[in-house]
Amino acid sequence: MESPLLLFEQVSKWYGSVLALNQVTLELRGGITGLVGANGAGKSTLMKLATGQVRPTLGRVTVSGVDAWHWEARRLVGYCPDLDAFYEDMTGREFVRAMADLCGYPAAEAKRRTEATLERVGMTDRANRKLRGYSKGMRQRIKIAQALLTDPPLLVLDEPLSGIDPVGRQELLDLFRALAAQGKALLVSSHELEELEKLTNHVAIVARGRIAAVGTLGKIREMLDDYPLSVRIDLEGAKDAARLLLALDEVTGVDIDRESLTVRAKSPKSFYRDFGDLVVREGLVVHRLEPLDDSAHAILGYLLGGSGKT
Amino acid sequence: MPTVSDSLLHYRPWRGEFRGPIHGSLAMARLSLLLLARRKLFWGLYALALMIFFFFFYGQYLVVWIQEQTSQQTVQFGGIPVKVGDLTKFLDRLNLNGSAHTFGNFIWFEGYIVMIVMALAGSVLVGNDFAHGSLPFYLAKPIGRRHYLFGKFLALGLFLNLVTTVPALVLFLQAGLLYDWQSYYFDHLREFAGILGYGLALTLTLGTLLLATAVWVRRTVPLIMVWTGMFVLARLLASMLVEGAKLDARWKLIDLWNDLYLVGLWCLGASRESIRGDQPEFWEAAAACGVVIVLSLLYLRKRIQAVEVIS
Repeated sequence: MESPLLLFEQVSKWYGSVLALNQVTLELRGGITGLVGANGAGKSTLMKLATGQVRPTLGRVTVSGVDAWHWEARRLVGYCPDLDAFYEDMTGREFVRAMADLCGYPAAEAKRRTEATLERVGMTDRANRKLRGYSKGMRQRIKIAQALLTDPPLLVLDEPLSGIDPVGRQELLDLFRALAAQGKALLVSSHELEELEKLTNHVAIVARGRIAAVGTLGKIREMLDDYPLSVRIDLEGAKDAARLLLALDEVTGVDIDRESLTVRAKSPKSFYRDFGDLVVREGLVVHRLEPLDDSAHAILGYLLGGSGKT
Repeated sequence: MPTVSDSLLHYRPWRGEFRGPIHGSLAMARLSLLLLARRKLFWGLYALALMIFFFFFYGQYLVVWIQEQTSQQTVQFGGIPVKVGDLTKFLDRLNLNGSAHTFGNFIWFEGYIVMIVMALAGSVLVGNDFAHGSLPFYLAKPIGRRHYLFGKFLALGLFLNLVTTVPALVLFLQAGLLYDWQSYYFDHLREFAGILGYGLALTLTLGTLLLATAVWVRRTVPLIMVWTGMFVLARLLASMLVEGAKLDARWKLIDLWNDLYLVGLWCLGASRESIRGDQPEFWEAAAACGVVIVLSLLYLRKRIQAVEVIS
């Protein structure tokens, strides 16, 4: 079987006496994975380990089978750090070109790649301006451009949407989706969970140095049996439906607001199964069914035992 | 922004051979020199270094011209007739005659500029990367930590040699043209090799020391203070101890620039007796430089192994 694009095997990382990551095992093979967690949860450490910026204290991190600490692995990874400490006297084009030279391309190829990546992030026409005059969004695009230089199979993007206006954000989201469609693996951290949810349904939740959960939001929500599910259902005959729903073992409460019900159920999996049966059996006409707490924000809140605020 | 599919179509895969990380070091050196060249202060300092070079260049020419043409002629100086040759006696201290001491003295005087340039270069090229957090960009590229530092070392070495070794070689060429060039070049091969040796000693010692101090203190002002301590205060202290307190000449070994000067004169083939003042042995100066190199390398090795980008 082919090596995963990114593999963490029982990885722990200590900074002095502080345990930043604790026995993390993670495997990425493709697609977009959102990395979410509270501040100090270990997201940045995980990304730095993936890009060979730091070395694991215990365990092993590999990129397509190559040790992430080895320089050869960095040809396979594009990294967009959250810091934007550039040499401000350089133009965007010069910076990306300098990074292309560092990648080991001959001059002609480095030039071609510089132009291709600048075009890809929509910075070709503004690339001759000095970095010190760039807005936050333009700096972000330059950082993404340098990460794309080697056309790497794995992209690690730390807060890539930070500071980008809504139009630019949509363009970058489209770009990330297109990259994922090419078979690349993207590991994206973001504090903006709503934006992350637009990008991917697959997340890794980091809490207190551990991977608390990995998978699609729906799957993770299903596993949270201890937390009742809240679902809004718009349907005809709300009062009758409420009575039928309360008769189900899974349902713990129902609020009625005209043609709309807010149902609280013990287990999402059982509830959806039983509700489906009920709809078929009783011929209920459902206009809308909206889970209220299976968003990344709510799930994170449940997992972290707080508000889920990152 | 063009549509994503359009952009992706232009992004064809590359099938060529990647060059190794050593080329990454060269790219890092090129980038570092570019960054230095963007600072007006460096051009100002380089201009000062060139002034010292031109002083030696025209000084050599002047001395030969006076010796050949006008040394016996007299000029009126304050109403007193003085031989032209006597007016230029002060130049004798500099040995502007294409000898080992010409090149040794030239590099000695360039040292004042070199010290300032190196302190600033260290903070710009290395300190800033650590202090401002730009390291993740470089270390996320396919080069190792040692390649990163080697690239910085190359840039520092090239700049150092542009101020010292290269102009000294030009002075050597000029000296040959001023005298009988065939015999000069053949008879002074030792000086030629000595200039290269002196340059190598400077590059290795100052390059590794600067990298180590820049990695250690990182910021410009502390770096300049440490550098000043090493090259100004240590020199004053050495002078006070040896010439003031009449202690053993080995105390001069704490003056690293003087140690390098002695190593340079050793390379250039100058006799120890021809050096003014109490000085330690050549080999002792070389050993002191060697100790500095080894300690700097050991410190860098420790940091390379430990360096992790933690923000």
